[in-house]
Amino acid sequence: MFEWLSSMENTKPLALVIFFVTFVGILFYVFTGKKRSERLESYKDIPFLEDEQSDKLNKKDQDNG
Amino acid sequence: MAHGAVAADTQYNYDIIKKFAIMALVWGVLGMSAGTYIAAELAFPFLNFDIAQITFGRLRPVHTTLVIFGFGGSALFATSYYIVQRTCQTPLISKGLAEFTFWGWQGGILLGVLGYMNGITDGKEYAEFPWYLDIAIAVVWVAYFIVFVGTLRRRSQPHIYVANWFFLAFILATAILHIGRNIAVPVGLFNTSAYGVYSGVQDAMVQWWYGHNAVGFFLTAAFLGMMYYFVPKQAGRPIYSYRLSIIHFWALGFMYMWVGGHHLHWTALPDWTSSLAAAFSILLLLPSWGGMINGIMTLSGAWDKLRTDPIMLFMITALSFYGMSTFEGPMMSLKSVNALSHYTDWTIGHVHSGALGWVAMITFGSFYHLIPRLWETRIWSQSLIYVHFWLATIGIVLYIAAMWVSGIGQGLMLRAFDDYGNLAYTFVETVTFMHWPLVVRMLGGMFFVAGILTMVFNVYMTIRTAKQEQAAIEAKIAAKMAKA
Amino acid sequence: MKFNHESIEINSGLMLVLTLLAISIGGLVEIAPLYYIEDTIEKVDGVRPYTPLEQRGRDIYVREGCYTCHSQMIRPFRDEDMRYGHYSLAAESQYDHPFQWGSKRTGPDLARVGGKYSNAWQTQHLNNPRDVVPESIMPSYPWLLKNDLDYSDIDARLRALRTVGVPYSTNDEEYAANVEKFGVEVAEMLDINKAEKNLLAQAQSQNWDGDNTRLTEMDALVAYLQVLGTMVDFTKYDEGYFAEFR
Repeated sequence: MFEWLSSMENTKPLALVIFFVTFVGILFYVFTGKKRSERLESYKDIPFLEDEQSDKLNKKDQDNG
Repeated sequence: MAHGAVAADTQYNYDIIKKFAIMALVWGVLGMSAGTYIAAELAFPFLNFDIAQITFGRLRPVHTTLVIFGFGGSALFATSYYIVQRTCQTPLISKGLAEFTFWGWQGGILLGVLGYMNGITDGKEYAEFPWYLDIAIAVVWVAYFIVFVGTLRRRSQPHIYVANWFFLAFILATAILHIGRNIAVPVGLFNTSAYGVYSGVQDAMVQWWYGHNAVGFFLTAAFLGMMYYFVPKQAGRPIYSYRLSIIHFWALGFMYMWVGGHHLHWTALPDWTSSLAAAFSILLLLPSWGGMINGIMTLSGAWDKLRTDPIMLFMITALSFYGMSTFEGPMMSLKSVNALSHYTDWTIGHVHSGALGWVAMITFGSFYHLIPRLWETRIWSQSLIYVHFWLATIGIVLYIAAMWVSGIGQGLMLRAFDDYGNLAYTFVETVTFMHWPLVVRMLGGMFFVAGILTMVFNVYMTIRTAKQEQAAIEAKIAAKMAKA
Repeated sequence: MKFNHESIEINSGLMLVLTLLAISIGGLVEIAPLYYIEDTIEKVDGVRPYTPLEQRGRDIYVREGCYTCHSQMIRPFRDEDMRYGHYSLAAESQYDHPFQWGSKRTGPDLARVGGKYSNAWQTQHLNNPRDVVPESIMPSYPWLLKNDLDYSDIDARLRALRTVGVPYSTNDEEYAANVEKFGVEVAEMLDINKAEKNLLAQAQSQNWDGDNTRLTEMDALVAYLQVLGTMVDFTKYDEGYFAEFR
């Protein structure tokens, strides 16, 4: 088994297959499933959460003031 | 609005970010000026003035160190500390440790470049720091890692935003590369020289594993982190596709580490290594362009911003140059193209289309967004941003075009034969040919330096105005208090 | 717990480990084999570590940043063969710490510059390149003739190089191994105990920089340049021999 693996002619295509399958797997995982997609995409708003928070703070300040 | 920002300011640690941002500009001016000066030395060799400290060979590492680690590094410290705090909604885990990374980093760079000028160097491109600074830098880097990861772990938001992934990969990869490249045996405890553990062909492979990934992780992944935060913020809309960014991240991180060998085509490095590196270089086009598209498409539906917002102009131009140089790179990694381009100015032009076009432009754009927020004011002059943009763009175009002419020209001349099968040109004839392109390249550099100088002036005025405004408000409050 | 990409996105430790994994593979696959694949370095006679004087010259070459403009790696092309000579072998830089293959030819390749020009030419050229090549854009290095060569730490330097694998000898056993590998004459030169003596003797053996009364940095640098690419006798090998290793 190890001998078979350590021969370059076998390692190369094997590595190619492993990497390619992993890549396609990730692609498939990331881009399929409507719910999963929606969930993953929801995180892109994180940079804007801080604004909402400070806006809320602001409003509170104004209300109090 | 201003009130809310004040509240945030007391919470987040902005002080350290301000310091790093200012130093990025200082090193930027010095490093780019050094670059322009050595460009001038190549066009007009009398500029070496027979002074050892300023000869091309010694100033060139000064230039690369100042722009990569001084300008780029400080900009990354600044933006990563900003982004990690804002997206995790928590202050930095340790003010003292962050302060240590600042002084450690700046001190390392200053000692490093003074050393190069005085002949203290390891002689390994982009890793010229002597052994004792290598150790110091490693310590600073560990502190950086602790501050960054510690802050991440303290986040009040369960999810880690994609920009932070890129910074994390950058910090991790840089640590591995720095240590891997610099393992050496010092000549003595009080001797500045050290000899690295690798030699010859292995040293060459380690060098370009290090060198190209300094580009891949320091100058690309980390600046992509910058892009993933500041482009959406400036555009006022979230990144085009979060799913694409997941693919982008893993593919880029995995593939970059393979490509360094393409710097060693046709050398004594075994063929299998450089061919493998070339194959991955071509594959790398996909994640690179995925990232570029993700950035550019963030603007889809808001293209009008390009007409009204000069900051957006910087960012889109940066992404365009990123796309261009990540196309040119794989092309140059083809063995047949590389046979011509290697050892010539074409490579220098390629590096600068990435370094000036992508790294510097995205930094400028991010800084114009960042600096008013740090000092809680507005940028002093919007039109000076336009001036900077055009100076920088003209500079880059001149630079790259000149390097294409000189690089491809020299490459073709060196391999030309006459009718009898003899070499058509001597080496020095190619040197003569390159004179005018080198002059144009120097001009390009001058434009670019002029650009960053307008930025420095603009930022200086912005900070001054901010301080005046602050003082005015304080005076008002004081007056009110006195009345009461 | 169900695993999905969010598991990574909410766990900085897991993300660290996976990132580490992703970025480690490429380097390992390309660097590690270079140490154990036997054909990486050609089997060839003649390549030896630098003498103390040459090594000091090499240190100066590194100090001045010569590698920023000169390569030491000739590629297997017809034009490079005609211009510089036989393409470079991995074996020829096996004792180079650090390697100086370079990445840019603002000036010509130097891998086989040894013996191409006289000592006098090299000295004059380094002192002011435009004296001999009017169009040259290389800086002048007049201080090389003025600075005395510092060889006070030559033992320590060779010792450090020995630690990283260059076969300089410190005892009889290592000396004997060197005699076997390189012959008596070279083995003598690689004896760290005689480093200073050897350095001074070699400095006197030729008129390197035109002035034998002083030992300058120019002496060392010229000695280094003159040995570059001269160690392998290519007439001893068939045309096709080296191609097998590529």
